[in-house]
Amino acid sequence: MLKLFEKETLSLDKLSDEQTALDVRDLSVWLNNSRVLNNINMRIPKNKITAMIGQSGCGKSTLLSSFNRMNELNQNYAYSGEVHMDGRNIYNKKENVAKLRTQVGMVFQRPNPFPMSIYENVCFGLRIQGKTERRSLDDIVERSLRNAALWDEVKDRLFDSALLLSGGQQQRLVIARALALKPDVLLLDEPTSALDPLTTLHIEELINQLKRTCTVVIVTHNMQQAARVSDYSAFLHQGELIEYSDSDSLFTMPEKKQTEDYITGRYG
Amino acid sequence: MKRNIELNTHISGKFNQELEKLTNSVLTMGGEVEQQLINTITAVRENNPSLAERVLLNDLKINSMEVQIDDECMRIIAKRNPTASDLRLIMTVSRATTDIERIGDEICRIAKLVTKDRLPPSDIVLSGMLMIAEKVVFMMRGTFDAFARQDERSAVAVYEQDNSIDKKHKELLKQTAKEMSEQKHDMQAWFDVLWAIRSLERIGDRCKNLCEYVLFLTYGKDVRHSSMKKTVKKLMK
Repeated sequence: MLKLFEKETLSLDKLSDEQTALDVRDLSVWLNNSRVLNNINMRIPKNKITAMIGQSGCGKSTLLSSFNRMNELNQNYAYSGEVHMDGRNIYNKKENVAKLRTQVGMVFQRPNPFPMSIYENVCFGLRIQGKTERRSLDDIVERSLRNAALWDEVKDRLFDSALLLSGGQQQRLVIARALALKPDVLLLDEPTSALDPLTTLHIEELINQLKRTCTVVIVTHNMQQAARVSDYSAFLHQGELIEYSDSDSLFTMPEKKQTEDYITGRYG
Repeated sequence: MKRNIELNTHISGKFNQELEKLTNSVLTMGGEVEQQLINTITAVRENNPSLAERVLLNDLKINSMEVQIDDECMRIIAKRNPTASDLRLIMTVSRATTDIERIGDEICRIAKLVTKDRLPPSDIVLSGMLMIAEKVVFMMRGTFDAFARQDERSAVAVYEQDNSIDKKHKELLKQTAKEMSEQKHDMQAWFDVLWAIRSLERIGDRCKNLCEYVLFLTYGKDVRHSSMKKTVKKLMK
């Protein structure tokens, strides 16, 4: 039979190790002695966009932060389980956490450019890594800003303060800063919640382009955004992973009633 | 006021592609149905049962296209939350595919005249049927052309062609009734012929519906069940 529309997503059950960016196994997290995540098992596909949705406090940001061990910055933090990346458990004691965080970049809700020039913001991480050769930095800054769809807007004022940029530009700059380190995975924690609708669409388009070079995991309160931008979606509720599937199925025919109630606004 | 719908102007490149694919898929389906009708006319003219069988088999492909396009419409509505012209486009596509699929069913009814060996036992009726069929093919071609170009003027012109089909249909029915009363044998075959003649007329009606959808798409006005002349006068002001 003639196929009019090709499906882009793979079946999560049949995902091979090569197609998996992050493999979460029995992950539980406790913060301040209360359990925030309960026995999460999921495989996040490589070079795809995965969205986490759920009510405030359901654990989606905690899960996101588990992927680059940012949770460890909290006091009273405990965990059990494993997260595998490139065939190794990132929670292994020998893991180099600083290196892990260059491999797994993160962008937060509010744009947080450093009080320095646009150029210096982008190569901040590279300088920390000891890269100082001007020519190579120039190249990386240009490539990162281009990938973050910001180059054309800032190429004539690279040495102006980053704080002079608009909110949308600042957020793209922060994405460029993460991209400069060539991450394998990019974690986005509500990256557009402080932006206007049109800028949001520009950032979403950028996210869609980014999956060519890295895996993207996004936490969002905006269900429509998850539907628009993601290839796969995970619905979390009170620390449990209720449903995880390709976004086409989850938003048209969810398997669990809890998911149906949440995405149709019947929850509460 | 008419607004041209430009599919490629969304910020999201993926959304652009999805809408373009959706529109193209309707035209692909339309092309298939048009070919089905042409093959059926050939099968009737040449009394070629194997070609008619092929038409019946190919209808499954058209049914599958309807399901796929409907699925895609549902997916886009759920994921993209379309509004204004995008929403109208998706509603139009969904309605249009239902009509196109029904056109496919009407074509099958005509093709069955050949597979069941029930072609009209009168040359006058047969040639009358073929004449209407040619007019229907011409109308169908114009319909899909107007849809592809979102051209409301062509859509109105094509819409008007149905009057001539209706007129010929009535004449043919009279002729058929006369022949039936003269040749009383095998009434079942005559009933099948009557159904096939009606199917040709129904295809014209479905094409009319499709033309109405073109106006809905470009003007945002639902012109179904209203006087076309008055509506066109208002819209074209």
